[in-house]
Amino acid sequence: MADRITLKRILRLWGISARLDLAWLLRDTKYAIAGICADIISNLSTVSGVFLIAARFGGIGGMSADEVLFMMAYSTLVTGIFILFGSGNNIHISRIIGRGQLEHLFIQPLPLGVQLLTSGFAPFTGGSNCVAGVVLMAVAVSRLGLAVTFGWVVSLIAYLLATMTIIAARSYLLSTLAFYAPAAAEEISWTAIDGTWFMSTFPLSGMPLFIQIPLLTVLPEGLMAWFPSLSLLGRPPLGLTGAYPMVFALLIAAAAGYIFRKGLKHYVTKGSNRYVPYGFRR
Amino acid sequence: MVNKYVQTARLSALGQTNGGILYLLPDILLKIFTLIPLIFLWRAVMSSGAEAGMTLEQMVAYTYISALLSDMLVVQTAASGWLSEGVLLRLYNRPLSVLGQLAAQTAGGWTPMLLLFSLPMALLAPLFGVSLVPASPAFFLSLSLCISLGFAVDFLFACLSIKLRNMNWLVGRIRLAIALLLSGTLIPIRLLPFGLAEIMKYQPFASLGGAPLSIFTGTADIGGTLLLQAGWNLLLWPAALLIWKQSQEGMVSYGG
Repeated sequence: MADRITLKRILRLWGISARLDLAWLLRDTKYAIAGICADIISNLSTVSGVFLIAARFGGIGGMSADEVLFMMAYSTLVTGIFILFGSGNNIHISRIIGRGQLEHLFIQPLPLGVQLLTSGFAPFTGGSNCVAGVVLMAVAVSRLGLAVTFGWVVSLIAYLLATMTIIAARSYLLSTLAFYAPAAAEEISWTAIDGTWFMSTFPLSGMPLFIQIPLLTVLPEGLMAWFPSLSLLGRPPLGLTGAYPMVFALLIAAAAGYIFRKGLKHYVTKGSNRYVPYGFRR
Repeated sequence: MVNKYVQTARLSALGQTNGGILYLLPDILLKIFTLIPLIFLWRAVMSSGAEAGMTLEQMVAYTYISALLSDMLVVQTAASGWLSEGVLLRLYNRPLSVLGQLAAQTAGGWTPMLLLFSLPMALLAPLFGVSLVPASPAFFLSLSLCISLGFAVDFLFACLSIKLRNMNWLVGRIRLAIALLLSGTLIPIRLLPFGLAEIMKYQPFASLGGAPLSIFTGTADIGGTLLLQAGWNLLLWPAALLIWKQSQEGMVSYGG
């Protein structure tokens, strides 16, 4: 019989994931440390490109070099939170669907959503970018002389939550394709998340509206770091309300939930064709 | 004999479209959607009037050509997936040189993206104010040296992944991150701040994509750039072949 889902139960499930993560770190320390280094180098390389441009030219499109640093710190924090909570392909969900692994979750005595929420938590091997993001954020805040009040910190958390919701919702929305075409769409969440990540580090300030608007709607890369950063600096762009990312997050999450359920229904009716009867994956 | 490698390249090109051409669409759209904002990012940056040693037109052309030839500017062969994807067994079962097969497979793999992304975007280049005529014919020699060096660097990383066994995915990830910054395909090396430009132009990654792109846009010292590229080729190819030979005994494959 399935457990009753309470906050305490979810925290305990995160605790189990954390213990497994620690066990991996202790069992294969060399590999785990190499993984941590790869995460840090990969992220710093992505964000430092744009920062180096800003440093060389004294800013980008009306944003000062320090404001760009602040944006890169936000981006690093998002990457950090993503790795912290998404290390089990639970956000790269098309991999789980495409590989026919969703059945593994069906046999657990927990709702699917709870398993997906808690299974990718990796605080020991996946927390490095989060720490790097906090350090970068502290440096940027100090250089900008921002007043860090309780309200500002709550806003930062709300924007991070909205950004994470958009990332996960878009991934789930597109990953629905994997229910219908498991082999072809197995890696579509990679395209949706990692493939677009570099674009999300672009400061859109100074770009024409016909570039900015699509990047805040159809392809919401501007909501991954640029819009939240400017809002946290007290000047939401394009005359929009600072709550725009939250509204967008709610809308895309609702759309993703609806579409994903339809895909799931198709999947439980038709099954997956990825495995041959003797166990190999096609 | 050459025909066998051509056939290998052909198979590799066809393999990319096994799932249908539509399967490549997300990657093509991604390239387009990254390239266009990147062009406008450079426009926003260069409109500040800061001295860059490059005109806006040169910068846009640099970015545009970098996107069109991206696969060639930082070569990545299937050797990166040596262990986990079972590439090894396939290569050793065929009566052809392993490195030759890797080179043919890689070059063949470039074809679909060249036809479906680079060619249409080349035709659209005038709309972005980009001229596809290189500033010097030395660009073609530089591009050849870049591709050749790219293979040598890739084989060296493949040897590293053989040495580190199950860390091959991490090696690939670190290598991509390093190449993104140090090859100059994203930011021209000459534009790096804090005095990094002077130091970075001599490291081997700078002889990859950044070198032909600088020659294409007419912002490089052609003689010095070609000499450096040739020098790194002469240094890294013997090293890659030697280390490769020594590494073969240590290969383990678990993928498939």
